[in-house]
Amino acid sequence: MQGFIYPNEFELHWSLLIVLYPYLTGLVAGAFILASLERVFNVKEVQPTYRLALLTALAFLIVAPLPLQAHLGHPERSYEIFLTPNSRSAMAMFGFVYAWYLAVVLLLEVWFDYRRDLVGWYQSAKGPKRWFYYALTLGATDLSEKSLKFDDSAGRWITVLGIPSAFLLHGYVGFIFGSVKANPWWSSVLMPVVFLLSAIVSGIALVLVLYMVTTMARGKPVNMPCLDRLAQFLFYAIVIDLSLEILDFIHRLYESEESIEILSQLIEGRLFLSLIVLQLLLGTLVPFVVLGLTTHSFRPKPLIQVPEELRRMLFLLSAILVQIGIFSMRFNVVIGGQLFSKSLRGLTVYKVEFLGIEGLASTIFLLLLPLFILWLLVKILPPWGEEPWNQKPSEVAAIQG
Amino acid sequence: MVQQVPRLAIVFTIAVAILLGARQLLIPPTFGEDGHYRAAAVDSIAAHPIKYAGRQACELCHAEQAEVRLAGNHRGVGCETCHGPAAPHVQGPLDVKPVIPDTREFCVTCHSYNASRPTGFPQIEPARHNFPRPCKDCHDPHAPVPPVTPGECSACHAQIARQKSLSHHAELSCAVCHEAPDTHKDAPRSVRPTKPQTRALCGTCHAAGIEEGPPQIDLESHGVPYMCWDCHYPHFPETR
Repeated sequence: MQGFIYPNEFELHWSLLIVLYPYLTGLVAGAFILASLERVFNVKEVQPTYRLALLTALAFLIVAPLPLQAHLGHPERSYEIFLTPNSRSAMAMFGFVYAWYLAVVLLLEVWFDYRRDLVGWYQSAKGPKRWFYYALTLGATDLSEKSLKFDDSAGRWITVLGIPSAFLLHGYVGFIFGSVKANPWWSSVLMPVVFLLSAIVSGIALVLVLYMVTTMARGKPVNMPCLDRLAQFLFYAIVIDLSLEILDFIHRLYESEESIEILSQLIEGRLFLSLIVLQLLLGTLVPFVVLGLTTHSFRPKPLIQVPEELRRMLFLLSAILVQIGIFSMRFNVVIGGQLFSKSLRGLTVYKVEFLGIEGLASTIFLLLLPLFILWLLVKILPPWGEEPWNQKPSEVAAIQG
Repeated sequence: MVQQVPRLAIVFTIAVAILLGARQLLIPPTFGEDGHYRAAAVDSIAAHPIKYAGRQACELCHAEQAEVRLAGNHRGVGCETCHGPAAPHVQGPLDVKPVIPDTREFCVTCHSYNASRPTGFPQIEPARHNFPRPCKDCHDPHAPVPPVTPGECSACHAQIARQKSLSHHAELSCAVCHEAPDTHKDAPRSVRPTKPQTRALCGTCHAAGIEEGPPQIDLESHGVPYMCWDCHYPHFPETR
C-alpha cells in the first residue's frame, strides 16, 4: 500500500476470474469474426480454419460464463435472470445476448454447416453412435440439392447476423467497464471498441495457434497460403488495435484530468511489468514488427522473404505473444482499475492467491477447460472435411488410386 | 418447404415453451408488484423473530456499566456489538445469558492492524502484542484507554523502559543516572548521554546509614575495586 486509500479499497473485489472472463468472451468473438471472413467476405484462403474457428468459439463460449458463476457464487440461481428480465441492468440483459449468441448464432450455424456431415455419419455409423448422430440431425436427413442449398444460404445469413452479435457480445464487456464513470482508468467511450478490436486480435491468434498445433498433431502439412493470410489479418487487426489504444492514451494525456497523476504512478509502478513489458512490448510491438516484416501485408511481397518453416515458427511465436499480451491487457484493465484509490492519492496492492475459488489454480483450470471441450467437440464433429462425401470426385479417385 | 425449417421450429418451440412454463412455475406470485423483487419478501422479512434488544433495554438493569461505557472510548459501540443479540436475555434474564467475549480473537476484529483504518485508531499486531493474554487483562472493555504516547527516553529505548518499569528502579526517572543534552534527540549517535562514572552515584541511595531505604552496603568494603554495574544491572537490579 502506498499513500492514502479508503477502507473499502484495501482489498480488490474483482480478481483473476474477472480478468479471465473478458479474455474468454474476446476469444469467442474473435474466433467467430475470423470464421465470418470465409463465410461472408469470401476469403477463400482461410477456409481450412472455418470450422475449427466455429468450434473454438463454441467451446470458449460454453466456458465464458463460468468465471462469473464462480466469482459470484450461487450458480444455481443464475437462471433467474432469464425468468425475470431486468431491462435496466446491462449485466442482466447480457444474459440474453449470451443466450442469443449461443443458441441462435453459434449452435444454428454449426448445425447448418455440419448437417450434411451429420447425415453422412448417421448413415455410415452403427449402434448407439448412429442414433446419437440421428438425434443431432433433428431428423432432418434430406440431402437433396435444394436442401443443401438452403443449409448454405441459411448459414450465410446467420453469419451476417452473427457479426453484429459478436460485436455486441464483446462490446458489452468493454461497455461494462467503460460506463463506470467513477473510475478514470475505465471510464472511456473507446473502451467497447478497444475491447472489440483486441478480441479480434486474440481470436485470430488463437485459431492460428490451434490450426498449427492440430495440423501438426495430425501429421498433415500446414496450408501455407491459409497461414499467411491468417497472419496478415492478425497484423491488420493489431495495427487497428494498437492505433486505438494509442488514441486512447493520447486522449487521456491531452485531457489531463485530475486523475492523470495517479494513473501515471500506476503505469510506472504497479503495472510496469504487465502493461509496458507484457502488453505493449512483448504482446503488441514484437508481433507487430515480426508480422509486419514477414507477412504479405505490404503487397506484392513481404518486406523480408523468410523460408516457410521459419515463417511458421515466427507466426506461432507471434500468436502466442499476442495471447499473453491480450491476457495482460484484460489484467491491466480489470486489476489496474482497482489498484488506485478513488481519492486519487494512493495505491493498493494485488497479490494473486494460488488455491481458492478466485485463485490461480481455478483460473488455469478454466483456461484449460475450453480446450478440453474443444477436443471433445472435434471428436464428435471432426472439422477437417476429410469424409468421402466432402471430397471432390477427382480427389476420391486419387485416394482410391 | 425444406425439412430443416419444421424441425428447428419444433426445437425452438419446445425451448420457448420450457422458458414460459418455468416462468409460470418458478416466479413467485407477488414478484414485480412493487418493483423488481418479490413483494411478499417484505412480509417474510418482517416475520423474522427480533434478536436484538437495543442499548436502552440493557441500560435499564446495567446502569453502572452503561455509565462507564458512555464516558469512555467505546461510547459509540453498542452493548450487543460485543455481547451479541440480547433479546432472549431481556425476555428471560436468568434463563439466557449474553456472551462475554473474553478471547483475543474478538477484539482484533476492530483493533488488528489494517492499513486502511484511520490514523490514530488503536491498532495492534495480534501475534506480537502481549500474546496470548486476553485483552481484558490490561484493558477495561467498557472504558478502554488508548495507548500512551511514548515518553521522552522510552520513545527510542523502549526495551530498557519496559524492563525498568518492572524492576525496583521503576520509580526512578532516567535523568537520575543519565544526563542527556537536548541535542541527543537530533543526533543520538554523535551526542551521547552521560553514564555514571563513580560508585558514589549508587551510594546516594545504597550507602550504609540511610534508614528505611533500599538495600544498603558499606561502600568502603563492598565489592572493591569493582564498579556497582559490573555485578548489578541498574535497569533491572536483583531482588533483596
